[in-house]
Amino acid sequence: MMLTCHWSGRRIQRYLDADPAAPLDVDEIRRLEAHLAMCERCKAAENEFRQINTALSRWAVHTIPDQKSVEHVRHFLDRLTSGDGT
Amino acid sequence: MHESEPSEATDVQAQNFRLYVEPEIEVLLRVASTLTNPSDAEDLVQETLVRAWRSVDRFDGRHPRAWLLTILRNTNMNMHRRRRPDTVADISDFVSTRPAFGVDPPGTEDEVMTSILSDDLELAVQSLDPKFRTALLLIDVDQLTYSEAAKVLGVPVGTVMSRLSRARARVRRHLRPTFVAATGKGTA
Repeated sequence: MMLTCHWSGRRIQRYLDADPAAPLDVDEIRRLEAHLAMCERCKAAENEFRQINTALSRWAVHTIPDQKSVEHVRHFLDRLTSGDGT
Repeated sequence: MHESEPSEATDVQAQNFRLYVEPEIEVLLRVASTLTNPSDAEDLVQETLVRAWRSVDRFDGRHPRAWLLTILRNTNMNMHRRRRPDTVADISDFVSTRPAFGVDPPGTEDEVMTSILSDDLELAVQSLDPKFRTALLLIDVDQLTYSEAAKVLGVPVGTVMSRLSRARARVRRHLRPTFVAATGKGTA
């Protein structure tokens, strides 16, 4: 079990992210999910990483750019590509 | 700021440039805020666009976001030579109390946990080494992919993954007492 926990621990974040640059293969996903179904400690780790991710994703509301800034950049883009000077 | 056009700018080039840039303006502003601070983000993005426009005739049109993020990073390094490109501004910019327009609220259970974690999470993230913190913010807050974050930081994807993994592990360790108190369970 210790070896499997170690193996799983190294993959839980990639499993949750499902990032195209570092996907788990089908066998890894199957093996990891089987382990998470029977290991309380690793399941708890998965839940905690998931909760941290959810909490951090809420911070995104504070980094949504001000619409005024977006408009400024758009106007700047207009001037830049029309050669009007900036 | 000085105007500069590609050597043989055409209407088609200008039109293509707009097609590359317009969908990425919000991402560029968000990432610029993460790398600097909200008040400098607009200047950084505008300077980035000037540089991108100068080199548009050498861009093949593939992966405009990655192209623009790379230029953003280089521009930021040039504008703030004394600031490392992988450091981040004040964390309070991320956890201020602006209203949450435009973002779907999480489910009730997550909402409760998010609320419980809030202050501790801020402390945990603040205590991270800036290299780790920036990787965490770019991916978990700004929602960049590993590859996009690698472009912004100028490091390989593997380095981003390593920094991200260590950042999250440290945050989780910091929050352990909160998790234990909330669930009544100790974990690995």
